[in-house]
Amino acid sequence: MQLTPDDQIVFMIGNLAINRTIFNTWVIMAALTVVSMLITRQLRPDVPPNRWRTTLEVIVIGIQEQISEVTQRRDPRLLHFAGTLFLFIVTANVLTVVPGFDTPTASLSTTVALALSVLAAVPMFGIGSRGLRGYLRTFIEPSVIMLPFNIIGEFSRGISLAIRLYGNIMSGAVIAAILLGIAPFFFPVAMDMLGLLTGVIQAYIFAVLATVYIAAAIAPPDSDGGPHTEDPT
Amino acid sequence: MSIDWITVAAQALNFLVLVWLLRRFLYRPILDGIDSREKEIGERMAEAATIRQAAEAAQADLDARIATLHASRVDTLEAAHQSAEAEREAMLAEARRRLAVEQDEREAQRAEEARAYTAELHRSGAEALLSLTRKALSDLADETLEQRIVSHSAHRLSAIADQLRDAAGDTREAVAFTRDPLPHSVAERLREEFASILPGFTLRLDTDPALAAGLTLRLGGAQVAWTVDSYLDDLDAVLQDRTGRTVPSGFANAS
Repeated sequence: MQLTPDDQIVFMIGNLAINRTIFNTWVIMAALTVVSMLITRQLRPDVPPNRWRTTLEVIVIGIQEQISEVTQRRDPRLLHFAGTLFLFIVTANVLTVVPGFDTPTASLSTTVALALSVLAAVPMFGIGSRGLRGYLRTFIEPSVIMLPFNIIGEFSRGISLAIRLYGNIMSGAVIAAILLGIAPFFFPVAMDMLGLLTGVIQAYIFAVLATVYIAAAIAPPDSDGGPHTEDPT
Repeated sequence: MSIDWITVAAQALNFLVLVWLLRRFLYRPILDGIDSREKEIGERMAEAATIRQAAEAAQADLDARIATLHASRVDTLEAAHQSAEAEREAMLAEARRRLAVEQDEREAQRAEEARAYTAELHRSGAEALLSLTRKALSDLADETLEQRIVSHSAHRLSAIADQLRDAAGDTREAVAFTRDPLPHSVAERLREEFASILPGFTLRLDTDPALAAGLTLRLGGAQVAWTVDSYLDDLDAVLQDRTGRTVPSGFANAS
């Protein structure tokens, strides 16, 4: 039993093996891009919005509102980053119900990559907001003694993000596969339904935590800096 | 559970590419569309507010015009009422004036008719009186009225001969006026009687249709008359009693 789709090679590009994780990620990327292009290609102010455009607007505005509630500001760069995290993860998690589709989020490599992206985005947003000195000062607040703990906490966030998402998605897929062998008619369906709910919730949690981390690194709307927020989980 | 770092790098790169793709094909078009729609809605709301303000201003202007019309309507009605009243008074005054003129004209016409009738009645009465007198004298005394007048005047002239001679002055001709020419015999008798009473004076006979029936003698500054005017005056009194009007003068103004 394979626990990760990284071992399934789909095709080779030279010496670079394209495994199932990367291939399915491309499929998800293509699906998201094509759907977005199809819906927004005739987007003009004089054309009344149709139901698909309205659905996309609701999703985008909902993400933006969630980010605004966390950060108390409207930052389009944060919307692009956190929104893409949520849309990619939720799409990948929902596609677990497709038979034969190995979701990329069931790969620890994917969740580590997403967690590393968040770990890289946090200092980038923080430096962009506070400046390099202001961002580094957050590691010695409230005192210099807290410097090693803040560094450890910074990395533990990425580890917890990666492990949390990978564990939830991979466990759901593994449990569904095990139950498929034991009772192939009823339990896999129930577990897939539960997996859908879990996948959406995990996408939301991942995106919200990434937003919280970035929001803690950037300056508050009414001051130049603020306390460094610990992982709420 | 293992980590394929090549896959990790590829997935991180895929994620960054996906961020760019969604920013290019999802977030920007959607947010731009929302912003443009909000802008358009804002413009339409501003335009609606402008139109609403214009409508409110027009309504206020209309209300003011209606109020002005109501106020002017009362004034106009009052002015029309006053004008109609003045016109009515003017028409009534004109009608009264025309009625008074017509009444005056009718009164004058009626008075003229009464005067003409009375004059005609007076003339007819005088003619009847003279005719009856002539007939009575002719039937009862076999005399004419002129003969009796000449006899009577001769008798009276003899009584006032001295006074006439004094009034004559240097004049030696007397003039006897009658309404109608005297018969020849009567005229001769009158000359004879006059010559006997006033010798040295001549008498010339003349007629005047305006005089009453009888004889009028003028000598120098004196004038004596023997006419039927007194009788006609009595006739006028009788007619006045009967008609209630004054008989026009002209027949009884000398004696």
